[in-house]
Amino acid sequence: MIRQHGQCARPGRFRHRGIGRRLLVLVMLLPGFASAESDLDRLHAGIVRYALDTGDLPRAVLMARTLTGDDAAFLRARVAYASGRRALAIQSFASLASGPQAQPRAALLLARARVAQGHPDAALPWFRQVAARGFGSARQEALYAIATQQRLAGDSEAAGRTLAAMEPGYWSALGYQNLATDYANNDHSSARALVALRVALAMVGAETDPSRARDLRDRLLLQAGYLSYRSNDFDKAVGFLSKVSLEGPVTPEALYFHGLALSAQGNQRAALQSWHRAKKFPLAYPGASDAWLGTGRGYDLAGYLGQAGEAYLAANAAFESEQVTLRKLTDTVRAQGAYEALVANAGASEGAWFLSGSGTLRQPRQAYLMAFLEDAGAQAAVARLATLVGLEARVSRERQDLGVLAAELRRAGRSGAPGLDRVTQALTRHSALLEDMTSALGALQKASGAELDRLALAFLGEQDRRMKVASDKTEQQIAHLYDYLALQALPEQAP
Amino acid sequence: MSGVKSPQGTSRIVQFVVGLIWLAGLMVAPASACFAADTSLDARIQQLSASINEHSADVLGLQEALQYPVNTRVTVFLSLETRDTLSLDSIELFLNDRPVASHLYTPRERDALAAGGVQQLYMGNLASGGQTLRAVITARSADKDFVRRESSLNFTKQAGELGLELKLSARAPAFEPRIDFVQWK
Repeated sequence: MIRQHGQCARPGRFRHRGIGRRLLVLVMLLPGFASAESDLDRLHAGIVRYALDTGDLPRAVLMARTLTGDDAAFLRARVAYASGRRALAIQSFASLASGPQAQPRAALLLARARVAQGHPDAALPWFRQVAARGFGSARQEALYAIATQQRLAGDSEAAGRTLAAMEPGYWSALGYQNLATDYANNDHSSARALVALRVALAMVGAETDPSRARDLRDRLLLQAGYLSYRSNDFDKAVGFLSKVSLEGPVTPEALYFHGLALSAQGNQRAALQSWHRAKKFPLAYPGASDAWLGTGRGYDLAGYLGQAGEAYLAANAAFESEQVTLRKLTDTVRAQGAYEALVANAGASEGAWFLSGSGTLRQPRQAYLMAFLEDAGAQAAVARLATLVGLEARVSRERQDLGVLAAELRRAGRSGAPGLDRVTQALTRHSALLEDMTSALGALQKASGAELDRLALAFLGEQDRRMKVASDKTEQQIAHLYDYLALQALPEQAP
Repeated sequence: MSGVKSPQGTSRIVQFVVGLIWLAGLMVAPASACFAADTSLDARIQQLSASINEHSADVLGLQEALQYPVNTRVTVFLSLETRDTLSLDSIELFLNDRPVASHLYTPRERDALAAGGVQQLYMGNLASGGQTLRAVITARSADKDFVRRESSLNFTKQAGELGLELKLSARAPAFEPRIDFVQWK
């Protein structure tokens, strides 16, 4: 099928003239039918939306300049926010959210911006507006944010009521998980926390995005398993923990607690199996180093003292080797910077993206990156530097392109083409501006890199200390075991 | 790509380009001067990022104006008419049987299309006269079938800018993919 729209009059704009006068009149008479102008607006708005959603900011900025129609103000505000003009964007969002139409989508973006600025209190009225007038995922997110504020203010009951009004899905599951954490921290019994976690597990079942649903489900199961283990309800703990997927960042910790629960039930063989599985993960993940220690303890409890000694020695060797790895990584961070050492090189050992799978989790460097990025401050520092690296790449490409273009135009100018001198001069000026930008980028990259290095070195130092503690523990266990064996041997040697 | 240029057309382009550059210069120069106003690292990054994005937009406009003069310019867009019933894997685009664009879609791009985004798939130059545009898509429909569809459009390029929009749809119950062409002249 071919549909035709009108004539273009100026660059970058497609102006509609009409298919046929008669048809156009008919169309215009239909109530609520989209006008010809709105078709064009839809096209332009769609291009801006796609550019924004895929991170093509130059095109979004370029197209937003000539945008008209119902969505123009909102999309321009989005473009302003994404491109770095935050103050202007926040002003526009506020104006749209408090205007006669009171757009919930503008209110949501404004609320998010306020939270990002560190003013969650200022965000609350806007979240309330979205909860009252919005729908779908936006409303769920707003209700979650309101419940979080209520929870942080110590009003768990109000938070519970807010969560009860939510639809099943990711946001409600996250809300109930947070509530469960509060209950677990405040209550002597884990009963209320486990109830909240069961509700969260039911809620996450309705989530349509499989990847985030699986990740949250694993974390909920781990939390429920740990709480059950802490309450000495080992059957329940095994039940929860055996449902955790075997290929996730929380898997080693879940396997460790799974082994502990089985060991507490007296099933040392099954416990050892769980710990052996957890040992296959890099030591950066929580639970992996504990599983190494657990293996020795498991053999000890099962009565295989010789194998227990070997397991402790193997654990000790693994921890010492990991300390060497960590010191090398620390040296690399000092020499190359944390971004290069942890982020840029993290995926370098992967053969190709289509080969990446469960093995990705088993790369020590990737594991440290993931553990490092659990922290919000680290996320912000990496995001800052990633933005600057992306901008630098773009500026460098533009410098190259404009340089080639200017050279070609200079050559054309020699052949007498009119007006090209002015263009080449302007291009040269542009290139000079790009050079200024490159030096400004360099200065900011240095400052952001120093901040990231500081965080990464602190993180690696903490990991090193953790390995040292684990190594000390194995040495104590080995000493304890040898003492025990020596004491056992004493009566046999007595005359 | 076949471009048709006239000295008069070139002069108009040059005027347009110089205007663009002048505007860009106005926007960029003061921005770099005010970096020191807010000392917070994030604020400084945002200020610089805003300047660079504005400048990149100018450069993009300038490059498109220089490479694709209005009289010969043809732009192909792609959008989804039914947003949840078709998950696009790839597209190949042929102009007069010559491959001009191909794209493999990432989940992020698929989501952007499903959210009502319009992708600018191709921009190039075409001489006036009869032309053929052919699009080949591979996609997964809502009933999980992998499909490959090919569709052609014969059109006449006249002087002036021409836009062609490919609108993809797959409607229940058969979820048969369909490509509609919309011409913007």
